[in-house]
Amino acid sequence: MAMPGQLMFVRSLGPNARLLIWLLVGVSFMVLDTRYQTLDGLRSGFSLALQPVRELLRAPSDVALELQGFFTRHRLLQNERDALLAERAHMQNQLNDAQSLARENAELRALLQLPARPGQHVVRAALLYQGHNWFAQRITLDQGAAAGLRGGLPVVDANGLVGQVSRVYPGSSEVTLVSDADQLTPVFIERTGQRGLAAGSGRNRMELRYMPAQTDIRRGDRLLTSGIDRVYPAGIPVARVTRVTRSQSSPYLRIESQPLAGLDRSQAVLVLVTEAQAVQP
Amino acid sequence: MNAPAQAFGSWRHIFGSVVLAVVLEQFPWTGWALALRPDFVLVGVLFWVLYQPARIGFGVAFFLGLLADFQDGVVFGQHAIAYALGVYLVLFLRLRLLQFDPLRMAAQMFPVFLAVQLVVLLTGWLSINPPDNLAILLPVLGSTLLWYLLTGFLRLWHGKSLQDRT
Repeated sequence: MAMPGQLMFVRSLGPNARLLIWLLVGVSFMVLDTRYQTLDGLRSGFSLALQPVRELLRAPSDVALELQGFFTRHRLLQNERDALLAERAHMQNQLNDAQSLARENAELRALLQLPARPGQHVVRAALLYQGHNWFAQRITLDQGAAAGLRGGLPVVDANGLVGQVSRVYPGSSEVTLVSDADQLTPVFIERTGQRGLAAGSGRNRMELRYMPAQTDIRRGDRLLTSGIDRVYPAGIPVARVTRVTRSQSSPYLRIESQPLAGLDRSQAVLVLVTEAQAVQP
Repeated sequence: MNAPAQAFGSWRHIFGSVVLAVVLEQFPWTGWALALRPDFVLVGVLFWVLYQPARIGFGVAFFLGLLADFQDGVVFGQHAIAYALGVYLVLFLRLRLLQFDPLRMAAQMFPVFLAVQLVVLLTGWLSINPPDNLAILLPVLGSTLLWYLLTGFLRLWHGKSLQDRT
């Protein structure tokens, strides 16, 4: 049936043929991207074009946060200040301990003549964007190659390990979170020192894999990076064990844990940039 | 029935609304808002495909799909293929969709959006976990051949010839 203003017999390709053509184009894009990695230029182009828009759109939520903070009641601030003062005293205590430990450590290192950890500096970055992705857990940060970032660097926030830089654009970068199913993190159990391999298992969850059934581990244990992969520095908190189940059919324990870093809420993170050669995963 | 289709949809409207959709997706959505966020770009594209099929079609949808692929940090082509399929479905159902009021039209669009998301899921899964070879498709040939043999045998059994006489 022809609509008014439309030709009854139009000399052009029908929807079926067009769909087929675009499907072929789409499949070739997928093959080019996955097999030959030739489309990174297009990614960088999109990133450059969208960066200013994203920077601009982050402003309203920042302003809202500022206003919210401004109207926070005085009483609350006083309470918070008291708590912070107490915490500072406590921290000072710990800092003294840590300083003496660091001194002792330096002496011991000198004794053993181990190479000191290569010069490391941190880059402050903020969350720029988070997309939908069923198969991977990624966020976009507002710092990129211009700030000295490159693929493979570890990203932390105030509470623990966030993930690893996986793609770098000129002004922004993509971070694969530790909860990504393909992301493996070498860890050790803080209480016992036993090493293991933690893998992401979806949204804000991780699991510790291949721990024999007689392993000494219980709910509440913290997992820290072991540093044996030379990617993550040793001792960054990664996750807290939430459940340990023994299976009759498997020789391994099933250990579920929850990442300590605010993977889905952290706004500000730090990227640890090592000057020395970093091993690409 | 065709009045609204002609009354709006200048290039300015189309371009403005698509740019607005892209911008809306750039907000730093998190948590529940991110999970429930509609696919503004897809809605915009399918809307214009429905009302201005001569102006917005597969090409624009494909390009915006590539943009969506970049946004989510996935393989290029995943959303592009899905959006192209969405455009096809809307073109296929176009005359039918235009007859409905907004509520019924939305109900008709539900399966279209669902199909697009399922294609995103399927292509994403295939790109991460590609099959080793295409041997899994070989039974298709076998089944087709079996169909021919079966129907042909039954026709011969009933005393007819294999080919229709014209």
